[in-house]
Amino acid sequence: MRYLRLLKVLYRTSIQTDMEYRADFFTRILASLLGLVATVGGLAITYGYTTSLKGWTYPQVLVLVAVYYVMDGLTEMFIAPNMRNVMTQVREGTLDFVLLKPVSAQFLASFRSMVVWRAANVLVGIGLTAYSVGRLGAHIGLTQALSFAITMAAGCAVVYSLWLVLVTLTFWFVRVDNIEQIVWQGFEAARYPIEIYPSWLRGALTYAVPVAFIITIPAQALSGRSGHMPLFVACLVGILSLTASSLFWKHGLKSYTGASS
Amino acid sequence: MKYWLNLYRANLRVAIANMLQYRFTILIWAVWGFVGPLISLAVWSAASAARGGTIVNKTTGASFAAGDFAAYFLVYMIFGHLMMSWDAFEFASRVQNGGLSPALLKPVHPIHRDAASNIAFKLTTSAMLLPVWALLFVMLKPHITLNAFSLLAIPALVLGAMLRYVLQYTLALAAFWTTRVDAINQLYNTLDSFLAGRIAPISLMPAWIAGFALYSPFRAMGSFPVELALGRVPAEQILPGFALQSVWLCVAILLLRALWTAGIKQYSSVGA
Repeated sequence: MRYLRLLKVLYRTSIQTDMEYRADFFTRILASLLGLVATVGGLAITYGYTTSLKGWTYPQVLVLVAVYYVMDGLTEMFIAPNMRNVMTQVREGTLDFVLLKPVSAQFLASFRSMVVWRAANVLVGIGLTAYSVGRLGAHIGLTQALSFAITMAAGCAVVYSLWLVLVTLTFWFVRVDNIEQIVWQGFEAARYPIEIYPSWLRGALTYAVPVAFIITIPAQALSGRSGHMPLFVACLVGILSLTASSLFWKHGLKSYTGASS
Repeated sequence: MKYWLNLYRANLRVAIANMLQYRFTILIWAVWGFVGPLISLAVWSAASAARGGTIVNKTTGASFAAGDFAAYFLVYMIFGHLMMSWDAFEFASRVQNGGLSPALLKPVHPIHRDAASNIAFKLTTSAMLLPVWALLFVMLKPHITLNAFSLLAIPALVLGAMLRYVLQYTLALAAFWTTRVDAINQLYNTLDSFLAGRIAPISLMPAWIAGFALYSPFRAMGSFPVELALGRVPAEQILPGFALQSVWLCVAILLLRALWTAGIKQYSSVGA
């Protein structure tokens, strides 16, 4: 409860700051839509020649792209800015001020602020979801909607854990921009069905940079493609990754040397 | 002439030393160039597998088998690396935080130092990537057919690299007037992914896009050298292709000069 109240205060100040830069929103929406044109247009050209890519139809792939946009937007809105901030704080030693506060350091470090205008990608993603579900022509039942919500939540947990692990690595390596780049490259590949990639890359995208859990599985749940993964496995992966990354963070914190030492 | 040679030699030496200091970082950077072409290749390989091995555009008669896609996107990956430019992203922050000011005090236009650093990046990373490219050629089994004109791809590549560099630098100058260059860069990227044939060979695109692409600067600094190397440009279209590259390069240089003069008046350096 106390944390929820704290979150409200933190986000309110973020919104107040971002309101100063309202025009940014239109830039973001424009950029987001232009990016969408490139991805969807490219897929449309490919699907002009075939009706299915490794079993994915055009509307099903659109669902996948939509989930990608929503996930990417949520990450850039809530998680990534904070995590990048922590990386700087570790390097400069200013994480001291976070650690001194009488709340969980992990909470404060990871939910310090949000970037409101990054919601552009989320909105574009939601719009595309609505459109592509319509094109699927299938009726979305309660079970389907529920399993989509659960897999999305599990996906968010995995994204968060991935970032937390990345941040924790800075306690030892100080600079991890390079590893972050590699993670992003994996993410980039995930806007297409991972089935189109060779098996070793598919493995890497499932276990190393687990974009399969983040994007493919929620998209499968929504588009009604029978996933190979039962729902509880997705939940389990979400919970396990949260626990493991949190333990890792606590362990890493011990290696933090601070500003003065 | 000797002055310029000396200038570039000195700048190149500094830039290469800089690059070698951050070997790992620039390598990661360079690997970004792999992602796009390999994803496109995966998509089109899956599509051609679904169509029994070959994709044929019925209106133009262009046909691509799995090996042709591998050849197209692999050569594109290498040529794309040699023609890449990132100034549009860096320039904006230099204008915003005033980093441009010291560069303006020097007796030569800052573009020369930036161009030297661009060349240094390509030289060092190409040397590092050479074994990776070779490995990819062995792994992906491209079906490469050279013809008498394939060697012309080299001058086309040089012209394309110059065109992309000057054009992106011109685009970067937008930062003098607006701080919101994201949308402009994204527009450039979106146009580039279609009209430069990055997401699909232009001959497989719908006729109206292909029509635009043929005359756009994007193909001239994108797939034109690639198509030339793979013998996919008909003989009578080779000369017009080079002419188009040259015309666009002249336009880009004139535009750059005009915008630079106007922009520099607009620039109010921060902290100076």
